[in-house]
Amino acid sequence: MKSPVKLWRNQKKVRDLVGLVGTVVSWTTIRVPPAGFSDQAPYVVALVALGRRRIMAQLVDVDLSSVSVGLRVITVVRRVTKPSQDGIIPYGIKVKPL
Amino acid sequence: MNIFIPGVATTKFGELWGVSPRTLAHEAAGGALRDARLEPKDIEAVFVGNMLSGMLGGQEHLGAFFAEELGLAAPAFKIEGACASGGLAMHNAINAVSSGQYRTVLVLGIEKMTDHRPEDVAAALMGAGSEEERTAGATFPGLYAILSRAHMAAFGTTSADLARVAVKNHAHAARNPHAQFRTKITVEDVLKSSMIADPLHLLDCSPISDGAAAVIVSSVKHHVSRKNAVQVAASAVATDTLGLAQRKSLTELAATREAARRAYRESGMSPKDIDVIELHDCFTIAEILALEDLGVVPKGRVPARRGGVVVNPSGGLKGCGHPVGATGVKQIAELVEQLRGSAGERQVPNSRVGLAHNVGGSGGTAVVHILTV
Repeated sequence: MKSPVKLWRNQKKVRDLVGLVGTVVSWTTIRVPPAGFSDQAPYVVALVALGRRRIMAQLVDVDLSSVSVGLRVITVVRRVTKPSQDGIIPYGIKVKPL
Repeated sequence: MNIFIPGVATTKFGELWGVSPRTLAHEAAGGALRDARLEPKDIEAVFVGNMLSGMLGGQEHLGAFFAEELGLAAPAFKIEGACASGGLAMHNAINAVSSGQYRTVLVLGIEKMTDHRPEDVAAALMGAGSEEERTAGATFPGLYAILSRAHMAAFGTTSADLARVAVKNHAHAARNPHAQFRTKITVEDVLKSSMIADPLHLLDCSPISDGAAAVIVSSVKHHVSRKNAVQVAASAVATDTLGLAQRKSLTELAATREAARRAYRESGMSPKDIDVIELHDCFTIAEILALEDLGVVPKGRVPARRGGVVVNPSGGLKGCGHPVGATGVKQIAELVEQLRGSAGERQVPNSRVGLAHNVGGSGGTAVVHILTV
């Protein structure tokens, strides 16, 4: 995930996904995170419908108690995990309430 | 061609800090050979089911690794399909014997997980998911939590319904000397345990485990004095998208439905013919989905009764433990014991037909085997 070449290759995909509006289909709160995400937990991971397309993304800038199915959200670019030891900061798509 | 399973063995599952993968392999493979009354020289090929040895242990090339370790100068293959690696290894072994290429082969399912930090194991397991899911910071409890919430919304399934799966599987595991958790629990215990990924509690989740299981697959009816020679009636595999977001439905695992359809067709059997099932309860919701998708209970009808079939007599992944590459092979070993009538305290009476169901990831792979005696 932190290979600079791979991050560069994924830029286009990320660009195409910014600023899209959708709704939460199902979601969970991750309380026991995988390596790299400990500084963000607990956080919400949501399955989001963006028109006919669906994505899995972290839901940020939200009060945990106010998440519900049908919540309207918009895709944004955010830092994914802590920087690697080489200082590379991976960015990716997350969603926040509209 | 008739395909027989003349030998099986399972190691203790659990946090085996004092035991190496080499030792686990010897115990499982040696046990299966003794059970079949065969010698190492009778083994013509080895199929190793494993997921994480590369990511966690830095060791790949497991075919040659375990062939050397077990003193088997035979062709050897590592088969990887996430948590379905064991079932996939079994499928490949059966195909290899069916083809006539080999007469007798060894299937070894093995995983060593507890040597590593839990957050590293959680991240490595996400290798079974999609890049998008890893970027989202999802975990496997998280993905099955999303399935749980969808099932609850569609059918009114409750946390107590989920908890009852764990309670039953712990009760079964209490009778299995190889199980990781030989402790009975209550619905209240499950609901009071800490939340891992809402709505899944700690006791809705199968554990991180070490363990191995081995099975001999042969076209020869070895050890003919044994009356109850267990045979393979069907071996079927199906795949689906790696990521949950790309699925048509969140209330079924389409790969399970398809693998089951193929297995029922191959064996000429239907769900009502099955006496005993070992299925993939990596999380409590997974057992409910599997019972529905295998056609044992109607979709959305939370299984209070299972029509007489006994599910997960070994304790399942929840109670017996889930060393991911070993699980699919352990399921076969358990069914063989049940069909022979040698399962001791956990024997399901009059078992003639058994079904094993092994899932990789959140349903990207499903493997279904049907065994008969």
